Amino acid sequence: MAAFIIRRLLWMFVVLFAISVLVFLIFFATPGVDPARQMAGRNPSAETIKSIKHEFGLDRPLPVRYGLMMKHMFISRDLISYGSHTRVIPEILSATPVTLSLVFGAAVIWIVFSILTGVGAAVLRGTIFDPFLMILALIGISIPVFWLGEVVNLVTQSRLHDSFLFSWVPPLGYTPLTQDPFMWFKQLLFPWLTLSVLYIGFYARVLRANLIETESEDYIRTARAKGLSERRVLFRHTLRTSMITFVSLFGLDFAVLVGGGALLTEVVFGLPGVGLLTYNSLTSLDLPVIMTTVVYAAFFITLASALVDLLYAWLDPRVRLA
Amino acid sequence: MRSRSLFQLLTLIGLAALVLTGCGGSSKKKSSSPSSGNAGGTLITVAKAGPSGSPDPQINYTLQEWQLLILTHDGLLGFKRAGGTEGTKLVPDLATAIPKPQDGGKTFVFHIRKGIKFSNGKTLQPSDVKFTFERLFKIGQSPNAGTWYNVIVGGDACVKTPATCDLSKGVVADDAAGTVTFHLTKGDPEFFDKLAVPFAFILPPGTPNKEVQIPPAGTGPYKFVEYNPNKQIKLDRNPNFKEWSKDAQPKGNPDVILQKFGLSAEAEVTQVENGQADWMFDTPPSDRLNEISTKYADQVHVNPLTAIWYMAFNVRIPPFNNLKARQGVNFATDRNALVKIYGGPQLAVPTCQILPPNFPGYKPYCPYTKNPGSGKWTAPDMAKAQQLINASGTKGASVKVNTDTVETDKAVGLYFVGLLNKLGYKASLQALSPDIQYPYCQNSKNKVQFCWSTWYQDYPAASDFLNILLGCGSFIPNSNASPNIAEFCDKPIQAQMDQALQQGITDPSGANTKWQAIDKAVTDQAPWVSLFNPKFVDFLSKRVKGYQFSPQWYFLLAQASVK
Amino acid sequence: MAVFEPEAEGIVLDAEETGGDIVGRSPWALAGRRLLRNRLALASLALFALIVAVSFAAPLYAKHVAHTNPFESNISGTITIDGKTVEVIQQGGGKLGLGETPIGPTWRSQYLLGADNQGRDVAARVLYGGRASLEIGIGSAVFASLVALIFALVAGFFGGWADAIISRLMDLIWAFPLYLLAISLATVLLTSPNGLTIGFIHVSPDSLWIPLVIIGFVYVPYIYRPIRGQVLSLREKEFVEAAIAQGASNLRLIFSEVLPNVASTVIVLMPLMIATTILTESALSYLSIGVQAPNASWGTIIQDGQELLYTRPWVAIAPGIMIVLTVLALNILGDGLRDALDPRSKVRVKG
Repeated sequence: MAAFIIRRLLWMFVVLFAISVLVFLIFFATPGVDPARQMAGRNPSAETIKSIKHEFGLDRPLPVRYGLMMKHMFISRDLISYGSHTRVIPEILSATPVTLSLVFGAAVIWIVFSILTGVGAAVLRGTIFDPFLMILALIGISIPVFWLGEVVNLVTQSRLHDSFLFSWVPPLGYTPLTQDPFMWFKQLLFPWLTLSVLYIGFYARVLRANLIETESEDYIRTARAKGLSERRVLFRHTLRTSMITFVSLFGLDFAVLVGGGALLTEVVFGLPGVGLLTYNSLTSLDLPVIMTTVVYAAFFITLASALVDLLYAWLDPRVRLA
Repeated sequence: MRSRSLFQLLTLIGLAALVLTGCGGSSKKKSSSPSSGNAGGTLITVAKAGPSGSPDPQINYTLQEWQLLILTHDGLLGFKRAGGTEGTKLVPDLATAIPKPQDGGKTFVFHIRKGIKFSNGKTLQPSDVKFTFERLFKIGQSPNAGTWYNVIVGGDACVKTPATCDLSKGVVADDAAGTVTFHLTKGDPEFFDKLAVPFAFILPPGTPNKEVQIPPAGTGPYKFVEYNPNKQIKLDRNPNFKEWSKDAQPKGNPDVILQKFGLSAEAEVTQVENGQADWMFDTPPSDRLNEISTKYADQVHVNPLTAIWYMAFNVRIPPFNNLKARQGVNFATDRNALVKIYGGPQLAVPTCQILPPNFPGYKPYCPYTKNPGSGKWTAPDMAKAQQLINASGTKGASVKVNTDTVETDKAVGLYFVGLLNKLGYKASLQALSPDIQYPYCQNSKNKVQFCWSTWYQDYPAASDFLNILLGCGSFIPNSNASPNIAEFCDKPIQAQMDQALQQGITDPSGANTKWQAIDKAVTDQAPWVSLFNPKFVDFLSKRVKGYQFSPQWYFLLAQASVK
Repeated sequence: MAVFEPEAEGIVLDAEETGGDIVGRSPWALAGRRLLRNRLALASLALFALIVAVSFAAPLYAKHVAHTNPFESNISGTITIDGKTVEVIQQGGGKLGLGETPIGPTWRSQYLLGADNQGRDVAARVLYGGRASLEIGIGSAVFASLVALIFALVAGFFGGWADAIISRLMDLIWAFPLYLLAISLATVLLTSPNGLTIGFIHVSPDSLWIPLVIIGFVYVPYIYRPIRGQVLSLREKEFVEAAIAQGASNLRLIFSEVLPNVASTVIVLMPLMIATTILTESALSYLSIGVQAPNASWGTIIQDGQELLYTRPWVAIAPGIMIVLTVLALNILGDGLRDALDPRSKVRVKG
């Protein structure tokens, strides 16, 4: 087991390194990009551009620039953004609580509702509720999240804003929990609901499919033959097995979101989280911020996938040999 | 005894109340004169993001930061802090008077006011001026060090070797006599303007010669206490400030000025409407304009800008190296459609020429319209346009129309793609990120044929438009910093420009007549399709009083009041 | 477990129906019958076909019904409604008259859903947008499937070094945050102002091929993994061993034994894949790094509508509804296909 863990973690670092190199090459190889000129303002002299180039190490060969960037990112931790001329790491750290607030809240909502829907549909199989719930779930995964957000904004900020239903909805934005918890909640409620719709649909279907599959397994038949109640069968046996898939998928999705995957939701609702920071840096070609956010996101994903693999290895020893 | 002391107590309280409210009571009238209105309170402003680029006052080139820097720092001269055309006048600031040019305009002696203190307690000395100008070169990143300030003796050497910059010959400071003498390499009619912008605002000695992360102490009525481009900027009062000239640097009204970041423009509009913010830096998005002009009309101010939106032809490569083709496109352009894209006739005024209205050297001139002669544009002339383009022989050429990805700018580009296709070209759109589009168009290596751009004045001088954007010296081949995007260089016209510059040193109004003729000559050569002169929309909350708009600094933040 | 186990079921079904002789049927025919019984899946197929038909009929709509060129700006244009001449884009009201607003839905043949900021007919654009979205959606799914198939066959069948290298590469692409990879590639490829030149292939920056290839590339690992797994397990099957014993070459093995079995997996994945790629394309276009102007796709129209959201919401709502209907139909169809072809399949793809 230990060998497996070490191998897995080693692979994680290899992947992170490869991704950082890939991103570096993608962006530094872009023609037309001259960060020194970007930083130099409206009408600079050639000397100004040259001086900025030197100051930011832009006149060195590519591997040296990569090395410098990694050093600034990890060792001296003073990497500077081309756009705002401030340190990148504090920028990301101040965006993190926003993303975490968004993702945790949405996760709570989607776990609860997807379990209710998935289990409900499986238990109510044969009645009209099963297909009804599944159609709802299907609709949930068919709606583009950014469009749903726009529609939600249209209703809550504009069309029905003056009605009693939505007059309490504050303007788009984010207030830290420590500053004003009530406002924090009010501003995040609709982003939470919007983001979770997709995941409720997906996880409800996964859970229902897993439950139904597990139901036809032999050991469930044995449990019933033994005289266990349906509820016992459900919670002790079927649900538990199905949760393995659920948990592993959840782990990956959650990691992606924490790393900045909720960027569409953040864009639509004006939340200054990691996703928005990533997107802004990509479109303004702010290379230090791009590198840092990509490594940040990739870290969570590779960590989660390593943990999931470890979980499976622990549960099923055959996997360790793979 | 008891009753009498009670009476005395009440009288005392009454008197105290009168005294305390007395200052506020008299100026309750709605005023438009500077610095009247009640002092105190916090002016809450909002913007999408912090000023882009370095926070260093000698590097930053954004209006957003300049509006704050004029409140915290001073130059030897300043633009009068007033609305309307008064705001374009130069007044002495840290100097006691605007000096007369000596030595053919190459020498200026400034007397420095005494007793002015920086917010860090140090007293302003003439040697601080020398320090400031040397730092301008030493930090190596100041955008205009090499183009504006190298006119100071020793400036060119400083551009070459910034680390050892020595301006002892160009900026002679005499602390005992309280004077600073500038020696220039040649006469420069815009030297005073250059002294009145934040690059030349005086910094205290001891400011490091490297880019700083927050503007250092200054002589103005406020000081920067927080500068976080992702969160907020905060200005507090400078306790060492005593007003010495209401025209140059008035004492401000609010006690604190805050600028908060992170909201989208849509959310900002809602915040101002709700009174949660007093002013938004960003332009209200187009789908809210109707709303604010109907429901909140009293809180909206629209002011013309000395600025221009234009499409630059590349006059050196086909198809627009052909004068007839350029003039044809000019005749075909429906400037009303472009005005609509920008937000309607209340927000933009069509133009055919280079200089904006109310600018020195401006005289209305528009040849590219139906029934020309009035100087105003009225309607496109498609027949004439088609005629010219047919005669030019450039029909069928493929053209890339270059804009950035901002919605409105892209919309302008799309309009021209359609227009050029209608005229018989094969046009397509090329939209680049705003961070790279401007330098991309400037570099002749990229062979951009038709490029969207804008220009907002640095200071009120005709050469700021004509010479910087269309002068031969502003075209530098294969450089990302070549503001003459059109690559226009006409020797006779350039000679006229040089003459006008020279004349401006001694005879500004005569020079301006020359600039009028130059504007007309350049317009006839059609290096651009001039589109319109935009206006600026300021949306304020209900409680803000004393709004003034200066053509140089736009909304004068500190002279409004929130109490 | 063999992929198809339905012989018994099929025979029973058949016997039930005809009440007569028991006739053997091929697995494909049986699958087809199962699919036809699934009315919901058939309805979705019909809906999807309808959407495709309508989108590809966009030029007809634009020309004969709306009388408009939805790619040409019409900012100063006017139309006649009930005898009155109305400006397509109208000045704002109130004391200040700021802002310009396009007309809203007229519910007539011209400007059925109103105009956008450039004065273009929204309904016509939504139909054209469907064309681009469907072309890219279907094209990138096919592209991803082909590439994944080739690599999975090579890796699964030949194993060894080929498998190790390809699988590691796929893991790398899979580990790269999907949206980040897509956005990075799109940003870079679209920034190169003269497009992409690889050898003799020149692609201009507003070509639909760029988003197609990017989206296809990003999803290759998602198809590669299940197919490779299947190829690996098929390799061990008795019928493959039998074929080898009969002296079949590798190529023959691949084409006649492995490929048909793998094909059903790909077919089951296809509708779901297309649903996913359509959603991804709309997200990229919404962020302005997918389909480029003047081309339109449902995502770009939603982007156009964002500016007009509070005044002319139909511009953003209409394309969104189209996306939801299309993706929903594809998802239901995908479920139906999976149930038909593989009632006990454990193959799942992340939607």
